[in-house]
Amino acid sequence: MVAAKKTKKTHESINNRLALVMKSGKYTLGYKTMLKTIRNSKAKLVIISNNCPPLRKSEIEYYAMLAKVGVHHYNGNNVDLGTACGKYYRVCCLSIIDPGDSDIIKSMPGDH
Amino acid sequence: MVKFLKPGKAVLLLQGRYAGRKAVIVRNFDDGTRDRPYGHCLVAGIKKYPSKVIRKDNTKKTAKKSRVKAFVKVVNYRHLMPTRYTLDVDLKDVVTVDTLQSKDKKVTASKETKKRLEERFKTGKNRWFFTKLRF
Repeated sequence: MVAAKKTKKTHESINNRLALVMKSGKYTLGYKTMLKTIRNSKAKLVIISNNCPPLRKSEIEYYAMLAKVGVHHYNGNNVDLGTACGKYYRVCCLSIIDPGDSDIIKSMPGDH
Repeated sequence: MVKFLKPGKAVLLLQGRYAGRKAVIVRNFDDGTRDRPYGHCLVAGIKKYPSKVIRKDNTKKTAKKSRVKAFVKVVNYRHLMPTRYTLDVDLKDVVTVDTLQSKDKKVTASKETKKRLEERFKTGKNRWFFTKLRF
């Protein structure tokens, strides 16, 4: 019970931080562009939805391990992640290049 | 945040004739060139892996089984899967951009990389690189 409550609160905060990044920072949505940003070492944080196919999830985690980029497993599916980004489409994975005013990089990477 | 596609990195080729083969990055072109406006790199890889050598084999047979056939290629970053392994063989002088312009230059470059990869295989280091990826 306590765990459920705690995740709800941190979940809200991730959404808020993401909204701030969308407004003030630089990001890229989608698998192809996200891998591109990881390759040229521009990505600072990678967020993956929970219904991402497991092979793709492992691949992204491996790339992020090589590039020493934090990965956050978003507590929600691609529909929810798209909504959290303020978009009307599904987003399976996204990468944050520049967080702008948000502190998502500092507070999130403790989370796997 | 760390650049990992550097010379010496072992990668897997994902597309093309050499899909599934292991290769090592010799030179990167992160921002592309005029002809190739995408991130790409020069790789030298293994076309034919050395076979398994058993104790029963005599020296002639081990020599035959330890042969490596190499290739040289320019590959888009999208068609590579980087790994955590590295292979530090010095191929920078052998594999250059102009060796891929003509067929005979490419053949001599492949022969030279074959020689260097074979001597690396015979030392017994980088064993992961010389084993075939099973898929």
